[in-house]
Amino acid sequence: MPFTHYINLILYQTYANLRTEAVRTYISVFWWVLEPVLYMITFYLVFGIIFQRGGEGYVAFLLCGLVVWKWFDSTVRNSCHIIASYASLMQQVYLPKYIFPIVLLLVNTSKAMLILILFLIFLLFYGQEPTQSWLALPIIISVQFLFIAAISGLLSCMAPFLPDMQLIVSNIMTLLFFLSGILFDTSSIPERYAFYFRLNPMMTLIDCYRQVLLENQWPDWGSLFVILIASLIGITIAVSLFRKFDHVYPKIVSR
Amino acid sequence: MTDPEVIISLKNAGLFYERRTGLFKRDQFWALKDISFDLYKGETLGVIGKNGMGKSSLLRILADIVRPDKGTIIRGNDRATLLSLQAGFIPDLSGRVNIVLGGMLLGLTRKLVMEKMDDIIEFSGIGEFIDVPVSTYSSGMRARLGFSIAYQCDPEIILIDEVLGVGDEDFRKVSIKVMKEKIHSSKTVVIVSHQVPTIRDLCDRVVWIDKGETRAVGKTEDIIALYLNG
Repeated sequence: MPFTHYINLILYQTYANLRTEAVRTYISVFWWVLEPVLYMITFYLVFGIIFQRGGEGYVAFLLCGLVVWKWFDSTVRNSCHIIASYASLMQQVYLPKYIFPIVLLLVNTSKAMLILILFLIFLLFYGQEPTQSWLALPIIISVQFLFIAAISGLLSCMAPFLPDMQLIVSNIMTLLFFLSGILFDTSSIPERYAFYFRLNPMMTLIDCYRQVLLENQWPDWGSLFVILIASLIGITIAVSLFRKFDHVYPKIVSR
Repeated sequence: MTDPEVIISLKNAGLFYERRTGLFKRDQFWALKDISFDLYKGETLGVIGKNGMGKSSLLRILADIVRPDKGTIIRGNDRATLLSLQAGFIPDLSGRVNIVLGGMLLGLTRKLVMEKMDDIIEFSGIGEFIDVPVSTYSSGMRARLGFSIAYQCDPEIILIDEVLGVGDEDFRKVSIKVMKEKIHSSKTVVIVSHQVPTIRDLCDRVVWIDKGETRAVGKTEDIIALYLNG
């Protein structure tokens, strides 16, 4: 089977999955907007109004972090059971198993891009003028896309062997949410801990989005490059593991 | 037949499944222990054996879904597909979308599925229901849709699990009829069954498998006689 066939299959499966989500509820696609908006309002109520953090510009600052985080979070959490969810299919017909996490990634990316566009529109109404630095946005998005692909690829290829992983990942994600500088300005981290916080690529990525969208600065190119290279290595490892275990998954996933 | 081509060759193939029995303990269960036979191009090969012979494991090996844990399998590029396919349906979507999806899962291009769309719908007899979600279908209708897609996809090697026909009474007759046409044509077919009459009627050669091991391979009537004598 030629590789191009699998690309077409991935695209059609992505379309079908998005369409499924759309027809499953009454207000269909509006949920793609409503759900993240409600999520963001919750955080704004708690941290912006009750705790009175931030001050001027905190809404845009907070939303920027949440938008970027949500894309990562939803994909990574789901990647732990993506292979198992296709168990009965892979036991009836041969398919390269990397297809499934890629479909997951594309479905979540489509929804995340919709939210990101809405966020940009919000920024315009909020009084943020688009500047030259917005041109860096596609590059940051691409790096984040590859980063998510690497993490979710590695998790999805290992998860069928490690049933406890889903719980571990779920807890780590909760921890990372509070450590990635979504709610606070990363420059407020004490100097001696800053290095360790910087090891978290999500923090760097969120900072880059804020630099570009809110502070009219170019992003931290060096860090982006490091994340890019690490992601490409991660993707390569994930692909080779998927190849290695391609005929093993149908044996070990439970029906 | 002059020296027919071998398209799948199994030699001493075995397959095990693992079961976790404790924190670090695992149990190995050999579903297939020692399977050897050749599949020739164009023949109809029957695989006979009692329940528990390792039927689904063997079909998965032939379809290249899993690879043997011991022994070898040699195969060409021919794709082997189960005809009873029903997986991959997305219940919330229409029959039409599911035909495209199913066809692509079986290796057809989207364009080719579109060309065969009318034939598949016609053959399935689902009619106007083709545009409503598959979740509203009866299990018979789903079986018909699955069979029609797999049948129209026309794989090089057809794998048949146990029973020939699918769906309700009428469709069962139709599906048995078209399957027999395939079987009598130059298609390569493997039928795995414990029903002697099915195998005797349709197969050129038979493999007898007992508790995961090949007991005998040969002409249909010889092996059936051996099988019936236990």
